Amino acid sequence: MSDLATASYLAQADNETRLNKTLRPPFDVVHRFSAQSIIMTTIAAILLFVFLSPILLVVAVSFGEKIEGASWVWAFDPSNYARVFVGIGWPDEITLLYAYKLGYTLAYAVLGSLIAIAFAFPFTYFLSQCSRPVQAAWLVFILASLSMSEVFIVMGWDIMLSNRSGLPALFKATGVTEWLKETGWLAVLKDWGLANPRNVKFKTSQMATVLTMAYLVWPYAVILLYAPLSRIDRSMIEAARTMGAGSFTVMRTVIVPVVRIPVMGTLLLLFVYLLGAYVTVTYFAEPAHQTLPVSIYEAIRGATLNAPFGAAQAVVLLSTAGVFIFASLWLSRLAEKRGR
Amino acid sequence: MKAALKHGFMLICAAYISLPIVIVCLSALNGGRSMLFPPKDPTFARFWEFFVSEPVWLRSMENSIIVALASATLAVLITWPIAYDQWKRNTAFSRALTGLAGLPFALPPIVFGVGLSFLWTFVGGLGNIFTGILSHTALLAALPLVTISIGLQSIDRYHLDAAQTMGADEPTSLRTIILPQTLSYTLSGFFFVVVLSFHEFIVIFFVSASAYSTVTLQIFNSLRNGFTPTMAVGAITFLLVSIAVFSAVARYGDLPRLLGADPARKDN
Amino acid sequence: MAGLVLKDVRKIYGDVTALQNIDLVFPSGKLTALLGPSGCGKTTLLRIIAGLDTPTRGSLSLNGDDITTLPANKRKFGMVFQSFALFPHLSVGENVAYSLSISGVEKSTRLKRAQELLDLVQMADFQDRRIGQLSGGQRQRVAIARALAQEPEVFLLDEPMSALDAQLRETMQVELRLLQQQLNITTIVVTHDQREAMTMADEIVVMSNGRSEQIGSPTDIYQRPETPFVASFIGKANFIDGIVRGGRIFVGDDAFDLEKPASFVDGAPVQLVCRPENVELCSVDETSPNKLTGSVSFVRDVGPTREVFVETNAGRVICEMPSSAGAFVAQGENTGVRLRSNSLLCFPGQAPAAAGKQTLASASHQENVAA
Repeated sequence: MSDLATASYLAQADNETRLNKTLRPPFDVVHRFSAQSIIMTTIAAILLFVFLSPILLVVAVSFGEKIEGASWVWAFDPSNYARVFVGIGWPDEITLLYAYKLGYTLAYAVLGSLIAIAFAFPFTYFLSQCSRPVQAAWLVFILASLSMSEVFIVMGWDIMLSNRSGLPALFKATGVTEWLKETGWLAVLKDWGLANPRNVKFKTSQMATVLTMAYLVWPYAVILLYAPLSRIDRSMIEAARTMGAGSFTVMRTVIVPVVRIPVMGTLLLLFVYLLGAYVTVTYFAEPAHQTLPVSIYEAIRGATLNAPFGAAQAVVLLSTAGVFIFASLWLSRLAEKRGR
Repeated sequence: MKAALKHGFMLICAAYISLPIVIVCLSALNGGRSMLFPPKDPTFARFWEFFVSEPVWLRSMENSIIVALASATLAVLITWPIAYDQWKRNTAFSRALTGLAGLPFALPPIVFGVGLSFLWTFVGGLGNIFTGILSHTALLAALPLVTISIGLQSIDRYHLDAAQTMGADEPTSLRTIILPQTLSYTLSGFFFVVVLSFHEFIVIFFVSASAYSTVTLQIFNSLRNGFTPTMAVGAITFLLVSIAVFSAVARYGDLPRLLGADPARKDN
Repeated sequence: MAGLVLKDVRKIYGDVTALQNIDLVFPSGKLTALLGPSGCGKTTLLRIIAGLDTPTRGSLSLNGDDITTLPANKRKFGMVFQSFALFPHLSVGENVAYSLSISGVEKSTRLKRAQELLDLVQMADFQDRRIGQLSGGQRQRVAIARALAQEPEVFLLDEPMSALDAQLRETMQVELRLLQQQLNITTIVVTHDQREAMTMADEIVVMSNGRSEQIGSPTDIYQRPETPFVASFIGKANFIDGIVRGGRIFVGDDAFDLEKPASFVDGAPVQLVCRPENVELCSVDETSPNKLTGSVSFVRDVGPTREVFVETNAGRVICEMPSSAGAFVAQGENTGVRLRSNSLLCFPGQAPAAAGKQTLASASHQENVAA
């Protein structure tokens, strides 16, 4: 029996090879196979060189050793990492300067992405209910604002928040400042770091930093939420309505459970994006409250010029991002499974 | 009532998003050197400065355009075979290439920028515009990869069968069916790269090493002297380009579909 | 041998056998319909004939030449797809001229040829239209013209009418048949609609579960089904279970005689099959063979015919008569039904898989069951 099965299998395999061989003339096969493999190999080489090697280089350089007054040399020196977490004097003393920077990086990114999602979610939900042409028009608007460079956005917010023109000037002109002074709110704002004795002051402040970051990723949030929200089966909502659910109940019992995982995934992606925010922080956060990207820049191009230490900070940032990217991939895979 | 609330909310969001952009744009009209809002002594002199009289802006505009167009072209050329191979054969190799091609876009750009600046320092070419082009290609290749893949998936497999029964082999199908039917998706990917490359700051900041500047770099570099209304002209120009490009994508391609809406639901 | 010959064609996907031991001959210049419920393997078979799928085993030959390993683009059998698969990025004329343009035929020649073909399918004025501007019926005509442009030796159509509405379908069936006869081209049509198959085909291959059940002319298949499946799938039929005793068939105590005595051993379970139009109403008291009694549960007039549902102790029997026939029975009345012996068929027992427990099966019901 098993011999028979083997024989029939072999006959079949033989048959199939014969099929494949005669499907195209052999010469043609060789010719095209090589043309195609040349293209794919070239592309693979480009990808390895330009796409992957920079990331590996960052990791490699991060173990390098800085020579005082000169450049740096290759080494296997984990002290750069120790410096990020516990300071250069460790183990004799512990400086948490860079650990704090990491902390600010995370805090700004978490707050910024949460605020962005909170406003983007209802917006996108309403958007997905519009007609297709209206959606397309809104999407053009969202994409245009999404592609605005961080530089331009910071410029706009800077004008809006600056003391000479913008909101503080508006407050003064309309008498809000006077009113704040009389009611004592100005003193409260001053305690929060949002005012000086004469007027409100939004720059520099952590609030300005976080709000600008939220602004920065809001269009991304809409774009990322758009896919899952616009794929919700409308008849499901209608079914819930016929069973007596109001809009809020529909949102709570149908929409949110369906899109919970994509929303988490979006949150993680926004968070990762904000980890790397540079211009916003240099502009709106005071030096004591600045983040890793700023000190990475300082180390690599700026004043301190210590490439290995900059690279080590970049690796820390990268690993943080990596953890969250994997989490979001895992979530999206989970969502796909649920969807089936 | 409910509809009014919804639209009200959407409009407030839109206003919030437009406000800083509008302010930047209007500041371009300032007559003086400083960025004031509302603009003082409105004039269009800044446009003249940006496009004609100040060569530093012209040069950076030129660089921006070169980097954007060249990196978009390269990105499409690199990602097309990857997307095609993945769609056609779906081997482990093609999946690995797809993952690799999308990797830079998923990382914090500053990390990738740092890595690229190391790479170009070692192999030479830091501060050369060509390495800037390659850097943007790598950073943004994920976009055409995604749009082309969506385009390929939208091809009706029966069209390929039909072409085959009419005598088309694989290269002929590629030329006569697949390329024309994915053209709008390819162009969308191309223009996404163009627009994002225009606006990209941090990577080009690292790899240009102050040897050349794009418009965003020029603006950032000039920030030390404070904002000037001339910069705002750059912002307006880029904004107009973005709107034109995305409107074209929406007009000639299926923008909602590109962004993941259910293809079957054309109207609701 | 002339025509297209399939020998022992088999297709296996993993554990699933999609086609088993298909031996078929498609004679030159004839129209053959592959008829069966969805999932019976008919489309797989058509794709193998086109060269779009390769058979796991077996061989195909055309006019004596082996074509088993010839890829679809070398076979160049014209094919019309269920969705028509017209290229939206090309105009109507360019679609029709596609096969000519990729084989390098000069532009003026191929445009002329496209125009001729469009004339043939009565779409002369549509050469420059976009595909999106055409109605379903127009698309079908273009798809037919496009498949014929390469002057194929075999013309294949996969459910060509399923995208059309009912009325248009009837018209197109006749038109397609006339066109095929005019061109005298070997044609294979896949369909699940028995009416469509009977309208167009010279020969019908009834398929089920990856096998061909019966091959024959439309009349043959209808009048002389060889299996209960064919009887149930083509037209309507009453199924009655019985036992053979002494050359007669007994359903309970009622005896049935066939025109030719059944060659079954005594005690064998059998199934009697009778088309509704071969069942007559008779009086309850009548004592003749081939008769059952029961009460009328439902009567309906459907235009030219009237159907009477009679619940007998052997199950429901449907009787169909011209509406003009006088004898009217009302719901609830008792009546006798007589099955004409000259059209009574007898199959070995065991309920056929496709027919299941149903006593009456129309083609559309059958499709659902089999699907």
